[in-house]
Amino acid sequence: MSQPDQHRIYCEMNPEPAAIERLCQVIRVRGFEVTGMNAELRDGTWEMALTLKGSRPVAMLQSQLEKLHTVNRVHRMPAVAAAQRA
Amino acid sequence: MNGAQHILEAFHRHQIDTVFGYPGGCIMPLYDALVDSVGIEHVLCRHEQGCALAADGYARASGRLGVCIATSGPGATNLITGVANAHRDSIPMLVITGQVPSALIGTDAFQETDVLGMALGIVKHSYLVTDPAELPAIMEEAIHLAQDGRPGPVWVDIPKDILLTDIPPTAMAPITPVATAPCAIDEALALLSEARRPLLYSGGGVSLAGAEQAFRQFADQAGIPSVVTLKGIGNHSRHDPYHLGMLGMHGSRGANLAVDACDLLMVVGARLDDRATGKLDGFAPNARVIHIDADAAEFNKLRKADIALNGDLGSLMQAFTQATSGTPLAIGDWQQQCQEWRATKGFPAADNDEPEAPISGPAFVRQLSRITGDDTVIACDVGQHQMWVAQHYRFAHPRHHLTSGGLGTMGFGLPAAIGAQFACRGKTVINVSGDGSFMMNAQELATIRRYRLPVKLIIMDNQCLGMVRQQQELFYGNRESQINLDDNPDFVAMARAFDIPAISIQRSDQIRRGIETILAYDGPMLLHVAIARQDNVWPIVKPGASNGDMLDEHTQRHQNMSAGQTPTEHPTSSASSAQAPKRNAKENAA
Repeated sequence: MSQPDQHRIYCEMNPEPAAIERLCQVIRVRGFEVTGMNAELRDGTWEMALTLKGSRPVAMLQSQLEKLHTVNRVHRMPAVAAAQRA
Repeated sequence: MNGAQHILEAFHRHQIDTVFGYPGGCIMPLYDALVDSVGIEHVLCRHEQGCALAADGYARASGRLGVCIATSGPGATNLITGVANAHRDSIPMLVITGQVPSALIGTDAFQETDVLGMALGIVKHSYLVTDPAELPAIMEEAIHLAQDGRPGPVWVDIPKDILLTDIPPTAMAPITPVATAPCAIDEALALLSEARRPLLYSGGGVSLAGAEQAFRQFADQAGIPSVVTLKGIGNHSRHDPYHLGMLGMHGSRGANLAVDACDLLMVVGARLDDRATGKLDGFAPNARVIHIDADAAEFNKLRKADIALNGDLGSLMQAFTQATSGTPLAIGDWQQQCQEWRATKGFPAADNDEPEAPISGPAFVRQLSRITGDDTVIACDVGQHQMWVAQHYRFAHPRHHLTSGGLGTMGFGLPAAIGAQFACRGKTVINVSGDGSFMMNAQELATIRRYRLPVKLIIMDNQCLGMVRQQQELFYGNRESQINLDDNPDFVAMARAFDIPAISIQRSDQIRRGIETILAYDGPMLLHVAIARQDNVWPIVKPGASNGDMLDEHTQRHQNMSAGQTPTEHPTSSASSAQAPKRNAKENAA
C-alpha cells in the first residue's frame, strides 16, 4: 500500500437537502479521507474547498464527484507540497 | 390539484401506466388519488422489496422506466435492497415514498426514517421535497434523470403534508437530453486495423443504451471474436461463429483464453468488474484497450484505457460500422483460433442419457433452452442455477435474460418475473430459481395468484445453498457451514396453497415432460426440480485469482486424487452415488 497523498479540490454545488452528505459519502466510499473543509453558501451555491488524503488516483474521485447531480463543478487544485505538510 | 395528483399527472405525461407499490400511512394521499385515476395500473405486491424488484424486472424486460411506491419508515427501508439492485445494474427506476409531515421530520415520529440519508449511496439521485411548489419540477427532473445517460434509480421522498397541499397546475416542458458531441473514432480505428487478435468485450450497457441492433451489426460485419459479461449475455446472435460466451469467474475456458491472448480489447458498455476480470494484474496482459461507455467515470477506473470513447453507444457503434465497411480486418488466423475454442472450450455438456439418473442442473437448463422459444424471458435468482442459466441457456436478446449482476440479490427472480410479465404480457416469462433464493420472496406467489399472471416457476432444489457449499468445498477445506436447507417446505404443496398448480420431477427422463407441462398450462404453474446436492458450477476461478487459473471438474478431481481425497461426486459421472433430495420426490400431476 502506497503512502496516502494529500489533495485539494474545489467544488460548487446546488444547496439541495443532503448535498454535502452526498459529497462526503462519495469521497469516503471512493477511498479518501477529508482532512480539511471550508464551505460557504454564496449566491445560492455551495462553494467548498476540501483537503483530502488518499492513495487512489484523485482523478477517479473527480470523475465520480462530477457525476453527482448537485455538483456543478469540481476543480483540482495543486497538490499540497511535502514541505507544507510537514 | 394536490401534490399526490401532481405525481399522477407526471405519470400520465410520461406514459407511465404500470407501477408497483404497497400503501401505508404517509403515502395514503397518493393512494387516495389513485382511486380516481384512469390509465395507471397499480400492482399490489406483498412486500416492498417485491415492489422494487418487480419494478426492476419491468424495466429490464421493457427498457421503460420502472416505478415503485411505498410509505415512510419500514416501507421505505424495505425498498432499499431492490433499489440498490437497480443501482448496481444501472436500471432506470423511479422510487416514490411518503415521509412524515414536514413539521414532524426530525422528531422521531411514528414511521419516520431518514431515507434520504440512508439511500444516498444506492441512488443516481434523490430528493426530499421541502417546498410544495417544487414538486412538479422535481418529478419531471427525476423521471428524466432516471433514464438519461447511464440510467439508475432516482428516489423522491415526499412529506405527507406536501402530498395534500394544493399546488397550482404547472405547464411542464419536457427536459431535452443534452446532446453530446460525437467522439472522433479515428484513433480507435487505427488501433483496430493494427490489431491481429482483437476481442469485443460487451456488457449490459449495450441494451441499456438501446444499442443492441447497432452493436450486432458492427460485430457481424467486423467478424471480431467476442466475449460478454453476465449482463451482456444475448448481445450476440446465437449463431455468431466467433462468439465465445461469458468470460470471468464462471465463464467459458475459451472466453478466458481469448482475453488472455488478445492484443486489443474493445470494451463496449462494460465496467470491467472483478467477477469478469479476475485478478486485474493478469487480465488481458497483452492487450491495448479501447473503452466505449456512456459513463466517463468508468474509464481508467480499474484498467487504463488507451482510447476512451464517451457517448451514446448506438451512435458510436454505427460510426464504427460505417468506418469499417469495405475494409475487412486481417484477423483470419485469430478468427480460426477462436472458432476452435468455441468448438472445444465451451461449457461442458452435461446431458445424461440414463433415464433413471438424477437431474443435473446444466442438463436441465440445456433442455429448457431447447424447448422454449426465442422470445422467452428468463428471470433468474442468484446462485448456482443463475450461473447454469448464464452458461447453458442460449439467449436471443439481452432483455430476455434478467439477472441480478452487480448486487447479486437472492430473491430477485420471482418479483422480477412478475414485473417482466406486466411488461411483456404476451411472452412466456419463466422464473428459474434455487430453493434458497425462492424462499426470500416467496410471498410474491400471492401477487401471481392475484393477477393470474401466467409466470412459470422453476425451483432447482438441491436442499442447500449450493454456491456457498461449492466454495466451502473448494476453498474452505470442504467445511460446510450453515448451508443446509433440507428442511425446505414442500414446494408443490406451498404453490398449491396459493392456488398455483405444481409438479415435481427428480429423474432425467422426466425433464422434457416437466418443462412441456408447465409451458402448456394456461396460467401460472410451478415445476419443482430435485437436483443433486453435490452438483458444482464449472469452471470456476477462485475469488481474487487470475482467470487463467480456472478450475474445472477434471482439474479439481486430479488435485483431489493427488491430495489423497475422495473425488467430488457428480451425477453425470456416477449416477448411483448422487443423492437427489427426497422431499417432493414423487412426481405429482397438477
